[in-house]
Amino acid sequence: MHIDMNSYFASVEQQANPFLRGKPIGITGKHKEHSIIATASIEARRKGVKTAMSTYEAKRVCPSIILYPCDPKKYSYITHQFNKIFRAYADCAEQFSIDESFLEITKAATDYFGAVCLAQTIRQRIKEECGEYITCSIGIAQNKLMAKLCSEQVKPNGLTVVQPKNVLSFLDSCQLKDVCGIGHRTEERLNAIGIYTFEQLRKFPLENLTREFKSYGYWLNEASYGRDNSPVVDTIEDPKSIGHSCTLTENTEDEKEMKRCLLELSDRVAWRLRKKGFVARCVRVCIRYFDFTEFVQQRKFIEPTNNGLTLFQTAWQIGNKWRDKAKPVRLLGITASNLTKGKGYQSLFKKERKIRSLQNSLDNLQNRYGSKVWSRASLLYPPNTPSATCS
Amino acid sequence: MHEFLHDPIDVIVSFCQNRVIPKRIRWNERNYEIANVNLVHTAREGKKRILYFSVSDKTNFFKLKLDPEYLEWHLVELYSNG
Ligand SMILES: [Mg+2]
Repeated sequence: MHIDMNSYFASVEQQANPFLRGKPIGITGKHKEHSIIATASIEARRKGVKTAMSTYEAKRVCPSIILYPCDPKKYSYITHQFNKIFRAYADCAEQFSIDESFLEITKAATDYFGAVCLAQTIRQRIKEECGEYITCSIGIAQNKLMAKLCSEQVKPNGLTVVQPKNVLSFLDSCQLKDVCGIGHRTEERLNAIGIYTFEQLRKFPLENLTREFKSYGYWLNEASYGRDNSPVVDTIEDPKSIGHSCTLTENTEDEKEMKRCLLELSDRVAWRLRKKGFVARCVRVCIRYFDFTEFVQQRKFIEPTNNGLTLFQTAWQIGNKWRDKAKPVRLLGITASNLTKGKGYQSLFKKERKIRSLQNSLDNLQNRYGSKVWSRASLLYPPNTPSATCS
Repeated sequence: MHEFLHDPIDVIVSFCQNRVIPKRIRWNERNYEIANVNLVHTAREGKKRILYFSVSDKTNFFKLKLDPEYLEWHLVELYSNG
């Protein structure tokens, strides 16, 4: 489910100040003159005022417009309020921007009828708790891509449902640029190769599409079928750290065995970081010896990371350097901490970028098929040394 | 007319179901009866949590600020119709 507030900043101001209701208003920057329109009220939109228009231009197309300075604290408070409502009903909720959220409701709603009931309940709660002028458009579909496309159909106060069997015909009734992820420039490039509709995009050979758009071509092809397997990432859950540890089947002095175990743990930690949209600035390695004494050491990264190999390399470096090599090891643990929201740094090097795009594809597979779907070659042998108890 | 100010005011309120509801304000030696509380929000000011009340009478919109620690009220915004 995707929920998008209608003319958000303007609606909040109309809720707060009744003398603005029913009038064309434009929310500007702190200073009203020489600013741009951040949000236009529904009344102003009807008269041709658009987001990002200069205030000068807005006054020209709509002389009666009331310019009103923005009040960011008020908006973020209301955003917090409605996201709290979303979380009360959804399995989890991802705040996508200040006025949009994705809700995972597969379990909460059970079916499309349940989803519609849920939508109406949420709408009612917003009306009661935030005010009746703060309205939203809701889209219900099988994934985020389609749900967002749905919510954009009817404004204000819309509710649009597209069931899986209707996805293709719905897409065919939309324009390419209606889909989140296809911008103006992409549309032009698609037009240039003769693609104007989703039907044409579906029929276009994938090979040619990837030749033109590289890996984005795969995404375009998936989008033409209304497919999207990106998860709804709960934005409230902010863990301070993410870690895994693993007790070895036998106490060991074998470096290879330790490396294997640590790499596997690093990949699992990195996967959870990526899944929750975090990058880590610090990695901590823990080694417990056969006699239950422990060694803990940590190191900070210059660039925050969510890459398993980077975590492993650093953890192994400090772990292997400082551990007591005379003592057999019983347990290995790795923890990523100092977490911030982000996607990791964009490398300047082609090879690293390639690995990164490979990682994205592997993550998509893992999202769909679970953690067993891929493995590093170095983790495939020896075949009969499973790491005993992992947590 | 839209004004931003920071004038200390006196307020008569009622407390109802864990809520504060402004009923009347006294500003510039005049009383204004509050007809509607349209929106209440909070905001952080350093470590403090400040409450804001967007209220109106028949012709004016007022934004009131309450510092819950010192129980000080200020009129911070005034919008008069017309
Ligand atoms: Mg919106």
